[in-house]
Amino acid sequence: MNQLFQFLLRQRNFLLFFVLELISLWSVYKYNDYQRTLYFNTTNQWVASMLAQKQEVLNYYQLRDINRELAAENAQLRQEVFQLKAKQVPDLKLPYFINEGVLNRYQPVACKVIDLSTRQTQNYLTIDKGTKDGIHPGMAVISSTGVVGKILSCTENLSLVISILHTNNTVSAKLKSNGELGYVKWGGWQPEVAEMMDVSKYKKVVKGDTVVTSDYNAVFPPNVPIGIVAKLGLKKDGNFHDIKIMLLTHFSTLQYVYVIKNRLAWQQAKLEQSKPKPE
Amino acid sequence: MGSSTTFRWIFTVILTWLIQVLFLRDLTIAYFAFCFIYVWPLIKAPIDTAPAYLMLGAFVLGWLVDVFYNTHGMHAFASVMMAAFRSPILRLLTPANGYDERSNVSLNEMRPLWFFTYLFLMLICHHAVLFLLEASDFELVGISLLRAISSCILGMTVFGILELFNLNK
Repeated sequence: MNQLFQFLLRQRNFLLFFVLELISLWSVYKYNDYQRTLYFNTTNQWVASMLAQKQEVLNYYQLRDINRELAAENAQLRQEVFQLKAKQVPDLKLPYFINEGVLNRYQPVACKVIDLSTRQTQNYLTIDKGTKDGIHPGMAVISSTGVVGKILSCTENLSLVISILHTNNTVSAKLKSNGELGYVKWGGWQPEVAEMMDVSKYKKVVKGDTVVTSDYNAVFPPNVPIGIVAKLGLKKDGNFHDIKIMLLTHFSTLQYVYVIKNRLAWQQAKLEQSKPKPE
Repeated sequence: MGSSTTFRWIFTVILTWLIQVLFLRDLTIAYFAFCFIYVWPLIKAPIDTAPAYLMLGAFVLGWLVDVFYNTHGMHAFASVMMAAFRSPILRLLTPANGYDERSNVSLNEMRPLWFFTYLFLMLICHHAVLFLLEASDFELVGISLLRAISSCILGMTVFGILELFNLNK
């Protein structure tokens, strides 16, 4: 026994090293799991207040950019109003009508970005609304220009958003011109560029086409813009297009985002759960 | 170490940590070179600091950085690794006449060749572990190593410049 203690005493530095590394690794693997409640991150009250102070100062210097973005958004909204007005005469041959519940299923909530990162391989944002404002993990987050990410975890007043600039976060997407399906994944490098995967090389893809979220998306509303096709090539395996897209969300100057509450999400989830399981 | 040295060291820790989490977090050169100034106090700690204290300090410091980076333990892991490798590195680089009892790690007392070799070894320890752990993806090993090496070079430049301010005092 004495010898054991002597041994432990001699190796105490190594033991300490081992224990500390173990705690760190445990934390890496435990908290990198999705959907867990996190507290040691930027949704922590102290951390958030410190970052909010910093953001206040930065906001002042970015007012011009914010103005420009707001103006652009106004313009886009106006355009949409025109489009909708034009569409009011039903031109469908099928007697399709959309019910009130489905029509009003998406409700946006404007949130301010307290903190965001774009420089890592796994990037997150912190926003200033939480469970108190009806926000829950899994909801979609978009900006005035495009897709941002989805809610990972919430505290009472704050939420952590897993950005699309996260190598494990993929978004189901389609090409606007011909509806070709695929998914968008970030390559872990430049925050302006992502890739669209799974588009067969026999399908037609043109440069400059818009990539939008698909209709079969559990998180995002359909047709939210993601990016513009910027570069075309062929994947190494020769079966798929290698499509590089320029993201439409400018993460480096992001100030306000919209969290999309989907009022029918629980109904959809319930329906999809009731699918018969293959034996 | 004397109490004034201790206070100065703690002041350096707080200052570098604040600079790191408030200013340097969003700073990068071409998404390849990142500056991790918060490891400065670990590099500059007096040579006779007990490894156990250094590791504990590194753990706390890394954890505080993690909280702001949303990285959960990765910086803690990397900085403890760096603190643990400090004494082997120092042993490896022992000058011919040994370390003076009161000597510090600085350009004033060490030769530039020694200082930069030491900086490089310490930084690569930290950065390689950090970037590999952060990517934790075999496809991204190339990018991670490239990032580690370019960040190392940036770190050596920045710390070299910081050290110039302390010269000839």
